[in-house]
Amino acid sequence: MNKTIRVLIAKPGLDGHDRGALVIAQGLRDEGMEVIYSGLRQTPEQIVATAIQEDVDCIGLSILSGAHNELLPEVMRLLKENQAEEILVIGGGVIPDDDIPFLKEHGIAEIFTPGASMKEIADFIRDNIEKKNSKQTRSTSVKKIDHIGIAVKSLDEAVPFYKEILGLTFLGMEEVLDEGVKVAFFEAGGVRIELLEPLHQESPIYKHIEKRGEGIHHLAFEVEDIVDQFSKLQERQISLLQNQPRRGAHDTKVGFIHPKSSHKVLIELCEKN
Amino acid sequence: MSKIPERKEQFETSSKIPIERLYLPEQQTEHYIEKLGFPGEYPYTRGIQPTMYRGRFWTMRQYAGFSSAEESNRRYKYLLQQGQTGLSVAFDLPTQIGYDSDDPHAKGEVGKVGVAIDSLKDMEILFQDIPLDKVSTSMTINAPAAILLAMYIAVAEKQGVSSKALSGTIQNDILKEYIARGTYIFPPKPSMRLITDIFQYCSTELPKWNTISISGYHIREAGSTAVQEVAFTLANAIAYVESAIQAGLHVDDFAPRLAFFFNAHNQFFEEIAKFRAARRIWAKIMKERFHAQNPKSMQLRFHTQTAGSTLTAQQPDNNIVRVALQALSAVLGGTQSLHTNSRDEALALPTEASARIALRTQQIIANETGVTDTVDPLGGSYYVEALTDSIEKEVWSYLQKIDEFGGAVAAIEQGYIQREIHKAAYDYQRDIESGKQIIVGLNAYQIENDEKPEIYRVDPIVGEIQAQKLKELRKTRDNDAVNQRLSELSQAAKTNENLMPYILNAVKAYATLGEITNVLREVFGEYRLN
Repeated sequence: MNKTIRVLIAKPGLDGHDRGALVIAQGLRDEGMEVIYSGLRQTPEQIVATAIQEDVDCIGLSILSGAHNELLPEVMRLLKENQAEEILVIGGGVIPDDDIPFLKEHGIAEIFTPGASMKEIADFIRDNIEKKNSKQTRSTSVKKIDHIGIAVKSLDEAVPFYKEILGLTFLGMEEVLDEGVKVAFFEAGGVRIELLEPLHQESPIYKHIEKRGEGIHHLAFEVEDIVDQFSKLQERQISLLQNQPRRGAHDTKVGFIHPKSSHKVLIELCEKN
Repeated sequence: MSKIPERKEQFETSSKIPIERLYLPEQQTEHYIEKLGFPGEYPYTRGIQPTMYRGRFWTMRQYAGFSSAEESNRRYKYLLQQGQTGLSVAFDLPTQIGYDSDDPHAKGEVGKVGVAIDSLKDMEILFQDIPLDKVSTSMTINAPAAILLAMYIAVAEKQGVSSKALSGTIQNDILKEYIARGTYIFPPKPSMRLITDIFQYCSTELPKWNTISISGYHIREAGSTAVQEVAFTLANAIAYVESAIQAGLHVDDFAPRLAFFFNAHNQFFEEIAKFRAARRIWAKIMKERFHAQNPKSMQLRFHTQTAGSTLTAQQPDNNIVRVALQALSAVLGGTQSLHTNSRDEALALPTEASARIALRTQQIIANETGVTDTVDPLGGSYYVEALTDSIEKEVWSYLQKIDEFGGAVAAIEQGYIQREIHKAAYDYQRDIESGKQIIVGLNAYQIENDEKPEIYRVDPIVGEIQAQKLKELRKTRDNDAVNQRLSELSQAAKTNENLMPYILNAVKAYATLGEITNVLREVFGEYRLN
């Protein structure tokens, strides 16, 4: 999974001195990265648009004009506005030490001033991208299937099949008023089966049964940090049924991915307390 | 030899010229008159004046300008009071690219790397109580040079000084902007036309004015070698001369007012040799290629600045030493004018105190070292003469190559010059990182807890103040007159007429820099590098 790192080297503002930018661009290429150079006099808007279009992992902003305190935070603001804040941003040029904390507060990962070596910069980019990637893998991987939801017209009719015919361990019943359902849980080798009966006609389960009949309704995956998970999904423009996770059965936090983003399966994510 | 082996297998200069263990007289003594001659005589290897610094020191000209016209005016008066003998104006980036301070492109840049000039109003403040007939002024302005020169002429007029008395230099070198510095506006062709318009106008109206300062400085800062610096600068100079001749000017009418601008880098003897070689090559070019008759057309006069890119943010006091040695090489190389950088320039704009040390460095060289007491003191040094010859040979070979491209403009358009510089810059960086090139305090002799000096900061409010001034100006001036002058300029730009008088009229009506540039942008188009 060692994807080539893509970097945009950009010159924000009006200064035309690009020796440093060009040397870094060449240096990063020699370190095995794919480098795009923006050319001179780029506005923050142009830089962010290029970064998104080129799908880069890192933006290196080179600036010598003294306008860094205005232009660099503006790049960060626009990245956020375009939901691209996962891109690593570094800066370089004639930037006084005193300004560095201010720039870091705005999300610039590091500032390299004159004297920094190409190797140092390449290592920084590699380490941080790897860190980001590994964090992403951890958070996108689900722990396991938590349960399978099955819509039924009547629990009284359905429960005996799972309990007596299949012999699954019956865990109990519960009403979830937010969803307008009554649910019954069974245990099947570490995975649970959740039967859902609509309590009234407003329940989504009622509508589901009206439309498609009884049957598998959703798959639920257990995740670690559902809030973080949700923002990750939003960044990638995965359709979600709600903007924020909410409370589900057994004091869990739950949220749903729209079937149109998941090949026609309603997916629930849940985080156990 | 086996007991004490040499430090390196091979010794070479920054331009990869091999350096021998010892230089001997036999190569150097022949052809003295042809190769060196006498100072003040062709080929001017030993200097352009017969007495050089025995007559008068070089002009000590520190580049300064920042924030508002008021602030810069105060700094100029301070520097003149400290013994500086010429002014050198740094303009901010919006001014250099023809944007008014309230233009969206100017956001965050107003007053940062130089002074913000939007109209004649600002220029009047910039030179308030500085008599323009007494001081010579150099202005680092290129793409909009005609406009700033016009403002300077207008200020002089208001002071009662005739343009004929004005002395100074506008940088006005657009080709090196495409190569190395990036503050271009228009495509090369109309840019060259503006430059020849200035040549023509000044040849009669400002006879003491240097109409261009053909600049190797930025080429070197962009990473070129010493040889490339001379070669590419002279290639650009050839392009300007050809362009002026094509426009119908006679070579001797404008060539005496061409000036050059070089860098003084670290490698001491190579730098001295570089200046001497440049003079000799230019003299030959003017005599043999352009058939100049006037000796002044053959004399390469140059301003030198020490190398900003060699200064380190680490242990900034070391920069004082670097600057002193670089300045000394410029003096030994026979410069006419010198700017010494300040020790804190790798960190920010110089403070007043560090600008003073930089100026004092020149004064110490001039008054205390005695190197000014004879002309070309290193002339005849076996080593310096051999290096001068080697540099000359390599420069000619580059010039031939550029001629094969069809001249500097074509070589720039095809990216040849930029690629050569970039390659040299990259090699140099690798040499530093591998430790092949030692930079004291950076990759050797580092110290922990390196103390950073206090740095100068531009007040961020200057952008708003300039915008306010512009608002006021547009309310109070005669806007009908402004529009009239701008439309006359637009008409003239479409013909072959000399644009200087039209620009001057627009400036006097208080048209802004941005307004005038926009008129020209509409006619000429904008240059975009791929």
